[in-house]
Amino acid sequence: MVLSPDFSSAPNLRAALLANREQALTQLYRQAFPPVRRHICGHGGSAEDAQDIFHDALVILYEQAVGGTLTLTSSASTYLVGISRNLWRHELRRRARLPHEALPDDPGPLAADAASETEETRFAVLDYVEQLGAKCKSMLLAFYYFQQPLTQIAADHDYRSVRSATVQKFKCLERLRESVRAAFRTETIEY
Amino acid sequence: MRPELERLRLIEQQLLNGPATLPAKDWQLRLLLDGELAADTAAQQQLYQGLRLAGRRQLRRELAGIHARLYGPPASPWARLWQQLKPW
Repeated sequence: MVLSPDFSSAPNLRAALLANREQALTQLYRQAFPPVRRHICGHGGSAEDAQDIFHDALVILYEQAVGGTLTLTSSASTYLVGISRNLWRHELRRRARLPHEALPDDPGPLAADAASETEETRFAVLDYVEQLGAKCKSMLLAFYYFQQPLTQIAADHDYRSVRSATVQKFKCLERLRESVRAAFRTETIEY
Repeated sequence: MRPELERLRLIEQQLLNGPATLPAKDWQLRLLLDGELAADTAAQQQLYQGLRLAGRRQLRRELAGIHARLYGPPASPWARLWQQLKPW
């Protein structure tokens, strides 16, 4: 019998997500998605709605867990079900107000913190991240979003030392900055 | 590291509260002495916000992959339409 990993404390969950993200997320998915799907399908939603809402909840959980802002008073899967129920309640309210608009790509609570930011630039950066080489993209996301330690990033990307990985990370960041700058310079000249 | 990369690191330490973050007074002084530092810092902040969006997109892709492995691939749009329109 395979024992489920212990996700009842935030540090354990964080460690599991950083050590093997796919395995930890799969475990959470197995435990928490069925009750979320039952709840949403029983409250006016479709299986597709359930999947979208559950993914939003997992993104929130991931960011809180690796960012060190998560406090768990129950298991992570119970917490996930709770977030999903809340998100679905908000979504139902939103649909009642705006019945013809689709589910937004980014959940409200996550987008709220960025209300004053320059949307255009952020989305331009998103496009340029996609155009980086696979290794650069993987390194930047591993460090800045997935918050993996540099020792792990160095090992995963075949660097002999943390220092080499650090230098490469900054070279990738520089390349991204130059792409964005060049694009904005071109736009300025065109206008 | 090259000076350009050291500059990226300096700004990163300030923005992400790294271990080598300068005290607020020292940072203000640098901003006064270096006319381009404020603009470079704002630009770097935008990079991090863009990387955050890219990270979320990547995480959603991974979650879609996990969903497909556990529950099968998502139905095609035609199959979903048929599910909605079928009379039984």
